[in-house]
Amino acid sequence: MAQTIASDQAGVHSNRLGGRAFLRLGTGAWLLLLPALAFFVGYQVWPIVRVLWLSFTDYKFLSNDPSQWVGLANYVEALGDPLMWQSLWRAALFTMMFLPGTIILPLLLAVLIDRVTNRRLATIYRVVLLIPAVIPSTLIFVLWKWMYNYQVGPINHFLVNTTGLFTLQNAPQWLGGTPLTLPSIAIMEIWWGLGYHTIFFLAGLAAIPKDLPDAARIDGANEWQVFWHVVRPRLAPIMMILVVLRFGTAMAVIDEYLIFGGFNRASPTYTWTIFMYDQAFKTGLWRQGYAAAIGMIGAVAMMIVMVLLIRIFRPRD
Amino acid sequence: MSVRKEEEHVVQRALRRQLLQGTIDRRQFLTRSMVAGLGMAGVAAATKTGIGPAFAADDRPLTPTFYQWIENLHPGIATVNGEFPGINYQIAPVEGFGIERFVAEAKAGESTWDVYVGQTPFVEMTAMKEAGVIEPWDDYMPKEVLDDIIPSIREENTIDGKMYGWPFLLDVIGTGWHSGLTDKAGVADEAPATWDDFLAAGQKVVDSKAAPWGATFDSHGWRSVAPITHSMSTDVYTPEGLFDFTSEPAIEALKLMKTIMAMANPDILLEGATDAGVNGTPDEVAFAAQRVALYFKYFNAPLRMAANWDDPTLLHLGPLPKFPNGEGSTVFWTTGCALFKYGQNKEKAAEYIKALTYDPQIWKDSIVGTPSGHPGQLPPYKSIYADWDANKPDWMPPFVGLVRGQLDRAKAITNNLFGLQQFVIGKPIWETYLKGEESDPKVAMQKVVDAVQAEVKKG
Repeated sequence: MAQTIASDQAGVHSNRLGGRAFLRLGTGAWLLLLPALAFFVGYQVWPIVRVLWLSFTDYKFLSNDPSQWVGLANYVEALGDPLMWQSLWRAALFTMMFLPGTIILPLLLAVLIDRVTNRRLATIYRVVLLIPAVIPSTLIFVLWKWMYNYQVGPINHFLVNTTGLFTLQNAPQWLGGTPLTLPSIAIMEIWWGLGYHTIFFLAGLAAIPKDLPDAARIDGANEWQVFWHVVRPRLAPIMMILVVLRFGTAMAVIDEYLIFGGFNRASPTYTWTIFMYDQAFKTGLWRQGYAAAIGMIGAVAMMIVMVLLIRIFRPRD
Repeated sequence: MSVRKEEEHVVQRALRRQLLQGTIDRRQFLTRSMVAGLGMAGVAAATKTGIGPAFAADDRPLTPTFYQWIENLHPGIATVNGEFPGINYQIAPVEGFGIERFVAEAKAGESTWDVYVGQTPFVEMTAMKEAGVIEPWDDYMPKEVLDDIIPSIREENTIDGKMYGWPFLLDVIGTGWHSGLTDKAGVADEAPATWDDFLAAGQKVVDSKAAPWGATFDSHGWRSVAPITHSMSTDVYTPEGLFDFTSEPAIEALKLMKTIMAMANPDILLEGATDAGVNGTPDEVAFAAQRVALYFKYFNAPLRMAANWDDPTLLHLGPLPKFPNGEGSTVFWTTGCALFKYGQNKEKAAEYIKALTYDPQIWKDSIVGTPSGHPGQLPPYKSIYADWDANKPDWMPPFVGLVRGQLDRAKAITNNLFGLQQFVIGKPIWETYLKGEESDPKVAMQKVVDAVQAEVKKG
């Protein structure tokens, strides 16, 4: 409202002052916008344009020969490489394991915490849940790497020494390239983000007027019906944001895969991000033109799915 | 014209050397360059490549950069640094053996550092050379140092006849065993002479239940396939310098690895905990936890792991076993120093590296161990071993003589752009045989060769 009045006033003012003054006003606005624009172009647009350009060349980082324009050759090669598809599929598989746990579990927890009437207790729950979110990533990885360690990790110690369900010979191999690797990393990620994501939903719940569920209860709705028909639709915008954001991060995970799986091409952690990194910084003369094409293919694939997710999860009312 | 240019080049080099040695000043350098007929273009060129660093050397102190683990394992480096006042000692941004920062700087014709301590020839030396990051030490390394380097190490650090690496820390792959566990199993307390002896000892440990597992190894190819192969033959490299995975010794190595795996920790093929899976490997965990009796890896691994035992003196070391009629060789590598092409203070860097690599305290600490670690890495110079032979220090453990003896038969992995990568690419493929997914080791190894060749062709 205030903005509308201000712009109206500016319009009237500019009409009164004439075109030159209006231009001056516009120039001033552009000048004020310039730092942000420069930052946006320098740090967002230019790297994308640069990578796009690289993807059409045979640029090799270790080579001193000038790079040549190769058109779509890198894309054709990447799309014809089974490793490209396999690595994309692995990333998608991890995302499918990770994403539901990122939405359902925090939502459930948020609903439960929202019902805690004792303020002090509710605060304690929130703080406890947020602890993992404030631990630096390196510590998280070291901690879980130890937890999952085949020989000396507490999980296998529990399974072998405490419960006797397994022996030292057949205990689960959680990390390092086994089929359990992706679910193990997904569990770690879900635990890590649990508090953070729960806070998102708690904020959403706090924005729902209390008389809405109360009215539904008076009308005879049970708790499940209240949740499904009253609460859930009002949390849809938050859910959409979380799904889209977390889909992006899950598909593009790289640190965890490097730490938990290295460059073993048969490992489930050898996803398109590792494939790209491997080509760009490890293999041969570091074919960064080809790596850029891998990156662009991965990014386009992600964008297509993101559009679909936005359509599926967009609020209906 | 070309003869003229060559003469100019010779004069220019001589003048540059005199300038850097301080026997002439800059004014004399410029005057003599003009008199020698270099002309302004020649002087400009000389200034660009020669004087530039000399002038800049006034601006910045000697700036070496080290891979973090070297500082962690060798606390004596700080003492050597003390002998070089004003030294700007730094830790290199090379986590996971990444050299991208060095390459990026070289492409811009600059270098933040003068010398890098942490280069392993077969891992990254060829890449550093190809990218124009480093230059040979030949012009800066004193002749007496060059002649003092053990010949096989000198060969390891040489590409196209030039020394691109100044060797520092020597690692040789050999056998280590937990004598407490082998005694309990009734195994003779001596290094297994052959791989059959190694297997028999391991089996005895398992059968006697002295430990859950008899033997283990690091599944990364340069620490398993290559040394076992070398124990049979070192003639396993193609003319291009790639490892011949389909050679008979390599096939035998793979078969032996599968046999050892039957008595090893089941997680043996998993990736390690640090450096993108390369370090902190399952074999180290098993050996540190005293759950396995026999082990082969570069000696500093069992030494470091045994430091976790109640009684580290129970660790005994020996050479790598051999096949009947095998060569009895093994794999070694040095971690050494690279001279940045666009670095400065090059003479000073050579002086510093000489002091570092000959420092007696560093070698004593490395061999005996300090509270910060027990690397067990050895010097690359003949003269140091000769001195020790002549006057054996009372702190000298027997493994030093053993490693030195092994070195005469050991061979480094041949330098190639794919020196390390060929083993990274091949690992998941040969493991199909180790996991029983592929029954024929030759088929598995042929697939390794195909995969490596495919990458080599891409460049």
